[in-house]
Amino acid sequence: MAETTAAEAPAAAFDKAEIEAFLTHEADLLDERRFDEWRDLFDEDGYYWVPLSPDQENPDDEVSLFYDDRETMETRFARLAHPRIHAQSPPTRTCRIVGNFRIEDGDTEPGSCIVASKLILVDYRQGDQRLFAARVRHKLRRASTGFRIAWKKVELINCDDVFGVIAIPF
Amino acid sequence: MDTLDSHRIGELVSRDRVHRSIYTDPAIFEREMRMIFARAWIYVGHESQIPHPGDFVTGVIGRQPIVMSRHTDGKVYVIYNSCGHRGAIVCNDAKGSAKLFRCCYHGWTFKTNGDLDAVSLPRGYGERFDTADPSLGMGRLPRVDTYRGFVFASLAADGPGLDEHLGFAGHSIDELVDRAPDGEIDVSGGVHKYMFHGNWKFQLENSVDMYHVPFSHESTVSRSGRQFARRRGTEAGSAISDQGAAAARWEQRGAWGARTAGHSFAGHQPVAEETPNDDPAYQAYVALLEARHGAERAAEILRPKRHNTAFFPNMTLQALNQHVRVIIPLAVDRTEVRVYPIRLKGAPRELNRDAIRQLNLTHSAASLIQTDDMECFRRCQDGVQAENSEWVWFARGADNDVEDERGDYVNRGTVELPQRAQYAAWARYMSGEA
Repeated sequence: MAETTAAEAPAAAFDKAEIEAFLTHEADLLDERRFDEWRDLFDEDGYYWVPLSPDQENPDDEVSLFYDDRETMETRFARLAHPRIHAQSPPTRTCRIVGNFRIEDGDTEPGSCIVASKLILVDYRQGDQRLFAARVRHKLRRASTGFRIAWKKVELINCDDVFGVIAIPF
Repeated sequence: MDTLDSHRIGELVSRDRVHRSIYTDPAIFEREMRMIFARAWIYVGHESQIPHPGDFVTGVIGRQPIVMSRHTDGKVYVIYNSCGHRGAIVCNDAKGSAKLFRCCYHGWTFKTNGDLDAVSLPRGYGERFDTADPSLGMGRLPRVDTYRGFVFASLAADGPGLDEHLGFAGHSIDELVDRAPDGEIDVSGGVHKYMFHGNWKFQLENSVDMYHVPFSHESTVSRSGRQFARRRGTEAGSAISDQGAAAARWEQRGAWGARTAGHSFAGHQPVAEETPNDDPAYQAYVALLEARHGAERAAEILRPKRHNTAFFPNMTLQALNQHVRVIIPLAVDRTEVRVYPIRLKGAPRELNRDAIRQLNLTHSAASLIQTDDMECFRRCQDGVQAENSEWVWFARGADNDVEDERGDYVNRGTVELPQRAQYAAWARYMSGEA
């Protein structure tokens, strides 16, 4: 009997419960402001992308709400930890629910999979409570300990809206 | 005239201060809509946003909805976004392309220059109904003009021409456009849109305020006193400090304010601080400019001169983090801002890509820079309600403003000269002198 390679059956190589546990943990890291730990979930060449229009093809030809590589995340989170970050004095509180996890077909890279999910995020700061909703996709790679995020793309339903300050990643 | 007569307007602004009520009084906001936004040249967009016939973008001037379109004759038109029949918004999307504009309500259609095209079921109208009546079209704004692709329009039929209005500030557009190897810029790379609780003038003041940087943006400065890198090939950004050598360099920046029109710019800090940029893409870009202009002119084009320019009342231009910013007053205490990235046509793709990415970091609603400004605007709006003082101060450097050969004002450093120029123009518009 021939050995089944990851490339032939990538989705089957991943346990859905394990993925759900990982992505729920990822959501908790953000709500608990453990930003450095969140950054460390990403691969060295990993990135986090929040487009500004529903049909935005790439982050190079049009501006994005977020397009962070790990280096940018370092800068962003160093600022979030700075005592004189006025836009976060007091800090935003967030509470999010992630769900509707589905492993997508079509990822042919061995040891990786693309996971679609839904996000509902409520944030609050100084009398202003907001609601965000998004379709989220992660590309995950199997690592020695659990998973690493190759990329995370957040498609907000109001991506082309006029926003107030957004300080915390979705 | 309302209770805010020109005499009272004069009392609200003096050379080094403005009355706090100009940020909080709804009657003053209403007057700004009539006396400034319905009279001045207002920036409405850039030609590169509508490259082909039928392309359009929508917007507002003051409270009036408008469409900037390119007609079949290839020319740019700025028309009211309102049906000549019952007044409904005709173009409902932020941007698009159309052969004709069609009203949703009764199906009237309009040409892309605003002229009435056809009335639905036309036989139902009587003798007096004349489809040649221009008021049945969407209507063109009284004045539209462009400066190197930047489209301005005015709701007033009379007033100074665009070139006269822009004056010396127009060179800020030249300096930016000249940096494109093809001699043209592109403003179609999406838009950052943010909203803040605060008066629109806080944003206009802030765009040319070099005094606030080490304080408002302290959270972006590392322990070594440098901001994160803002351009390709440099590992760290500008040295920013409220003391020592960095502060001394900032005090060498030029500052300029127009005598009448209200435009202003903050100069770039001295070139000595610039680190050499040996990035290959940047070097390729320099070679393209040199091929077009020769080495001497290319070096002059690349020499940083103006940092931020504010075109009174609604547009700012930034050379370092290439963008056009449009200020849209919504209410006395609510403002929308749109920030459009500028790409240099003919420049290496990596350079334009980096300009787009950098703008995410500086001016997105989730950026590292703009968010602290938005917070400061909010605190200003709430704070000026206090009656501890009647005034907001712009006195920094006021004793050293010097008149230049054009009759405009110049100074140096982190002075509040740009804001003084803005409020001198504000008072002229608001009292009916402009």
